[in-house]
Amino acid sequence: MKRALAVPGLLYLFVLFYLPFLIVVLYSFGFPKFTLDFYAEVFKPVFFKFFLNSLLLATTTTILCFFLAYPLAYYIAIRAQKWKNLLLVLVILPFWISLLLRTYAIMAILTPIGLMFTFTAVVIGMVYDYFPFMVLPLYASLEKLKRSQLEASYILGASPTKTFLKVTLPHSKPGIIAGVMLVFIPSLGEFVVPSMLGGDYVTLGTLTWDLFLRYHDWWRGSAISVIYMAIVLIAIAIYLKKAGRIEL
Amino acid sequence: MIRIYVAIIFAFLYIPIAFVIVSSFTDETGLTVKWFERLIKDSKVVSAFYNSLTLALLSTVFSVILGTSAAYAFLRTKMRFESFFYTPIVIPEITEALSLLLFYKLFSFPLGFTSVLLGHIAFNIAFVFVIVKARLSGYEKSIEEASLTLGANEIQTFLKITVPLAMPGIVAASLIAFTLSWDNFIKTVFTTGPGFQTLPLLIWSQAARGVVSPTLSALTTMMLAVSMILAYLYVKVSTQRG
Repeated sequence: MKRALAVPGLLYLFVLFYLPFLIVVLYSFGFPKFTLDFYAEVFKPVFFKFFLNSLLLATTTTILCFFLAYPLAYYIAIRAQKWKNLLLVLVILPFWISLLLRTYAIMAILTPIGLMFTFTAVVIGMVYDYFPFMVLPLYASLEKLKRSQLEASYILGASPTKTFLKVTLPHSKPGIIAGVMLVFIPSLGEFVVPSMLGGDYVTLGTLTWDLFLRYHDWWRGSAISVIYMAIVLIAIAIYLKKAGRIEL
Repeated sequence: MIRIYVAIIFAFLYIPIAFVIVSSFTDETGLTVKWFERLIKDSKVVSAFYNSLTLALLSTVFSVILGTSAAYAFLRTKMRFESFFYTPIVIPEITEALSLLLFYKLFSFPLGFTSVLLGHIAFNIAFVFVIVKARLSGYEKSIEEASLTLGANEIQTFLKITVPLAMPGIVAASLIAFTLSWDNFIKTVFTTGPGFQTLPLLIWSQAARGVVSPTLSALTTMMLAVSMILAYLYVKVSTQRG
């Protein structure tokens, strides 16, 4: 009886979430025919640009987010004291604002200073949008670090640098892995930011958009999406193996 | 040192948003609300507003019903496939959006309000499931058993004991579902058809062409205000102890 309550939800997700995925896989193999041509094609040099651009953008975004977010997460977790809650709220608040609106806000700032439609603009937009996704997991792991652990390290004669490298950094490893995942994976497929701020900066995301919504090329579009999905699933699998579970 | 750094980071995070808000309330001469007046008079904006609102309300109602009952079932019985409900949260939205589009195309399902709504519900079910289940797992099963022992049947117990206990979780989940739907752009743009516009689609149609205008900023400010109200309600609900 109680089990039956789960059936409508499961059925709904099966029909409107899982089944569509199977259809994408089907199309990537050339539905209604069967062929591997579309996979062979997306690995041709014409498409390299899209993969490389996405990889470059996602890597730059992740690295910048990490180096910008770590000191902030450290400050909020260990040093902020009475400001802690306010600062946390300020970090979480952007999660409630949609990415489209945040990107528009960046656009409104970049337009008057003439920075629009450059790689720099795209990177600024990406860092702006994905920054909170890096701060939160870093904060969560640093927060568990006890002040006494740091003090013990100092008392035993370690320098601040050594304490950071030997105590703080290893302690925050789960947060680093989670933050990198949460920024890198969506950055790789992002298309709102590059298409709004980047002009002709093409990525996997803008390519997917064009193939599906402009050219109605379901087959090549599907092949690229399946490859992207495979990358995502591999990343998640590695993460689950390392961290055991997903902490949001 | 580090304090200055923290201040700079927050300036970076909030100056663009502040800039949009300020520019939607000013013109060359000073403060004004004329950009908002223009929005209200624009029939496209008004109909997009009603579309967004209807979409968010309906997808919230359906996803809360489906997600809550599934969360309850998984909590009280030993069942497999729970990860079924987590996948939609981890999967990048663009992949979900394009697969829905292909699904509709394959079955020649007409694109428009219904196709968008069906997609929003799918995504929201997962979030409702996770939130409600987390909330319900804080309660002892024995409360329900007491109800059953005292002669209530399973349906009565579910409606009179479980649902009220889960209420804070259900309200929190509804707020999340509403926000996700109200703000949604990617899934909406992939699954909409001619004639069905929502507010995010309206913003996109101009912003994607590089347009930054006071009216567009006013629309953004309006959407921001709604998001902030929802965020505030969410914090109020989730910090309340039942």
